[in-house]
Amino acid sequence: MTDRLLDVKNLHAGYGPIAVLHGLDFHVSEGEIVVILGANGAGKTTTLRAVSGMIDRTGSIELAGKSIASAKAPDLVRAGVAHVPQGRGTLPELSVEDNLRVGAYIRNDNEIDADIEQWFQAYPVLGERKNQRAGSLSGGEQQMLAVARALMSRPTLLLLDEPSLGLAPIIVADLFERFAEINKELGTTMLVVEQNAQLALGIADRGYVIESGEMFAEGPAGELINDDAIRRAYLGV
Amino acid sequence: MASVQLTKGTRAYTIYKWAGVLALVLLVFVAAFAFNDTGKISVFDNDYKIGLTRITKAISFMVAILGLQVVAGFTGQLSLGQGFFFGTGAYLSAWLVADHSWPWFLTLVVVVPACFLLGLLFGVPALKIKGLYLALVTLGLAAVFPSLILLDVLEPYTAGAAGKIVDSDLIAPEWMPLDGIATGLQKIPLIGQYFGDGDLSSKQEQRIWTFFLMAVLAAVCFKMVSNLISSRPGRAIRAVRDNETSAAVNGMSLSYHKTMSFGVASALGGVGGMIYVAELGIASQGDFTQLLSILFIVGLVVGGVGTLSGAVIGGLVIAFIPEWASSTQNMPGVPDRWLQGPTGGLILGVGLIVLTFVLPGGIISGVRKLRAKIVQVLPAPIRVGESIAAKE
Amino acid sequence: MDLFLQRIFDGLSNGATYALIAMALVMIFKATTLINFAQGEFAMFGGFIVLVLATEQGLPMWIAVIVGMLISAVLAAGIERTLIRPFDPADHLPLVIITLGLFLAINAIAGIVWRFDPRAFPELFPSGKAMSIAGATLSWYTVFTMITILVVAGGLTLLLNKTKVGLAFRAVSSNLESSELVGIKVGPTLQFGWAIAAAVGTLGVSVFVASPFRQLEPQVMVTGLIFAVSAAALGGLDSLGGAILGGLAIGLVQSIAVPYLGVPTELSLLAAVVVLLLVLLFKPSGLFGTPQVERV
Repeated sequence: MTDRLLDVKNLHAGYGPIAVLHGLDFHVSEGEIVVILGANGAGKTTTLRAVSGMIDRTGSIELAGKSIASAKAPDLVRAGVAHVPQGRGTLPELSVEDNLRVGAYIRNDNEIDADIEQWFQAYPVLGERKNQRAGSLSGGEQQMLAVARALMSRPTLLLLDEPSLGLAPIIVADLFERFAEINKELGTTMLVVEQNAQLALGIADRGYVIESGEMFAEGPAGELINDDAIRRAYLGV
Repeated sequence: MASVQLTKGTRAYTIYKWAGVLALVLLVFVAAFAFNDTGKISVFDNDYKIGLTRITKAISFMVAILGLQVVAGFTGQLSLGQGFFFGTGAYLSAWLVADHSWPWFLTLVVVVPACFLLGLLFGVPALKIKGLYLALVTLGLAAVFPSLILLDVLEPYTAGAAGKIVDSDLIAPEWMPLDGIATGLQKIPLIGQYFGDGDLSSKQEQRIWTFFLMAVLAAVCFKMVSNLISSRPGRAIRAVRDNETSAAVNGMSLSYHKTMSFGVASALGGVGGMIYVAELGIASQGDFTQLLSILFIVGLVVGGVGTLSGAVIGGLVIAFIPEWASSTQNMPGVPDRWLQGPTGGLILGVGLIVLTFVLPGGIISGVRKLRAKIVQVLPAPIRVGESIAAKE
Repeated sequence: MDLFLQRIFDGLSNGATYALIAMALVMIFKATTLINFAQGEFAMFGGFIVLVLATEQGLPMWIAVIVGMLISAVLAAGIERTLIRPFDPADHLPLVIITLGLFLAINAIAGIVWRFDPRAFPELFPSGKAMSIAGATLSWYTVFTMITILVVAGGLTLLLNKTKVGLAFRAVSSNLESSELVGIKVGPTLQFGWAIAAAVGTLGVSVFVASPFRQLEPQVMVTGLIFAVSAAALGGLDSLGGAILGGLAIGLVQSIAVPYLGVPTELSLLAAVVVLLLVLLFKPSGLFGTPQVERV
């Protein structure tokens, strides 16, 4: 099982006295895009926050064979996990360029400027507005900036929390296309949490469905999308 | 597990409650005679005076802190300006008594509405100014008070830097047998010696009388605040503290309650000031600096934010600790230099920090935890059958 | 006219000190939205360290100031680590109470160690007048205080915009959670803010008492803090440039408006508080601050 980049077993987490997750098992193999689906309040966001060390959790979490179950968020970034939180993860008062620069906070190499330049070329809108406050960008641009910022740390695993939230459908479709591109070109493994099942499963290799903090179904993306029961109950189609 | 369990509404609980009230009254009574001016504790050759004048001063602080409880404890606003209203109350009543020969207690007729209105005046900006900003403004207000007193326009009324001297004492009426009580207490075997010797001087009688009156006044203030808290508006006020936006959604007039709580707090600050100056006989601007306001916060926190009994403890702490610290002249292992400086401030400052760490609920929460180990009060059981039967 | 100009000069040199302490307040507020009520006392304590280094250890004055700033920075970093970090940064009440406790304790310790007698501070700037303009004297002191705040403002701007720790500091001020998610350790970053604030405050008090008309004593910043707070609020509590303009404005109000309105000197403090009240009533985010939105 060496190709498992992220291996989670019996994950429990919650907020204070309220337990949200009741023992989740899932894994993400190297190079995969895995999506976690579920209704509002099923525990999707909590799952990501637990993996990236934003909240206290118990259970076994292994990243490339090493336990990260007790590591805090800033250390996990150094271990290669980048997390784009729900509702944009930008630093609104900082300039677009500084947002990218702060994304490379953990790096000490001299390729940072070159990487920033690359993003400006890949997404010209970011380059044009590099000196503007990130908060002045549109929702879709901010989401893209948040993803670029996360990738600036050169992660092996990218966690995306509801990237489609609050964005127009056409922008969301474009965004997911770009995720697939990044996965193919940079080889970045991705764990995506989404409510928009159609789009997410469209780019994913495998998927999990959680309900009330427990695993309800799992399987290859193509199977999940065709499973009638899941379609009706969770995918809203 | 508590060793005694009491249920609300039962006879045993009523006895327990009244026993507490009785013990408190007895304590006040004994304190009045025992600590007249002789009371002191000696440790390492240091004399720690308990004197009644200091207790009365503590009462004035208690009432001011009670005001802070209303504004900080129940609405969650932090006011660092209570010293301003305390000083205003002190100067107002000093002026009325000294220049217009009003009796002390009659000055409350002016002090309470005046401070209440001043409080409203500052409560209105407090609506727009939240949290830290409010703390900033109120701290500025407190810092400004001494310089206001020195203003030329106010000098004829405030006596400026010299301080307003009030030469009017509260004298016990003829029918109060203070002397007789003292003599009686002195005759009690074993403990009689603690009640002094021989007849009370007129100065002593006056102190006891002032203390009694002020204790009663403070008790009235505490009772009123306690009623206010359990009343409907009181519950609304606490809702404001817990979540402003939700309270607003539920149709509560935030501005009204917040402003009112500021007014009530300021009025209580004024009452405290009146007690202070009635005991001390002089109002001097140096007493009402922003340091006093910060000490009130110390009292609030050390006693316990949001609890009425916390105000009592807080008042005692800020009245006695600085004085006792300065009367400590010998302490084995501590260099003299550290005892001669402003040790009281150091103790209060460090104490405030330590308490925030170890006992965030203040001393009173510690006392409650301790008491919970001995006595447990259970809520009254709901008797479903009876109430239905009664209706039929 | 000469008197008016003279008052402007005096106002600027007073205002420069308020600006320095206000910048120290802003450094902490930017990162934590907390007011350190002990900031003035931190600065006063730092001033005494400078005095001891210069008079008792015989260090040259400017070396003493720099060493004093470093020592205060280390002390403040230690205080942040032990007394501030254990608390939830979003819950202000306990933190405000801790800073009030620090206010009392530091003031008392200074009083115990150095007593309350005012002490002359060694000369920091050349004495005498730099030039006369239309009959008004511009002293070297005023010239150098102005230079000092410009140097400090420039230095802080460079530090925040051109260094990695500065970038981390700005990130933490902008969004705590996102900062953690790029690997920034929030605690040490805030500690950096406290250390810088203490160093700037120490410089501020050193400049303040270096005036030939002032002396150093433990109470020196008790009302000074009120002026600095008004200055910081006027400029917008999270703006360094605002702190400078706010400080100078409060200094000018104090030296121009107060005598021209014919009100007694006692009222300069009242003027500062009135300015504070008006700003918070009509523009709570100050002249240059970032407006805040409250969410449920």
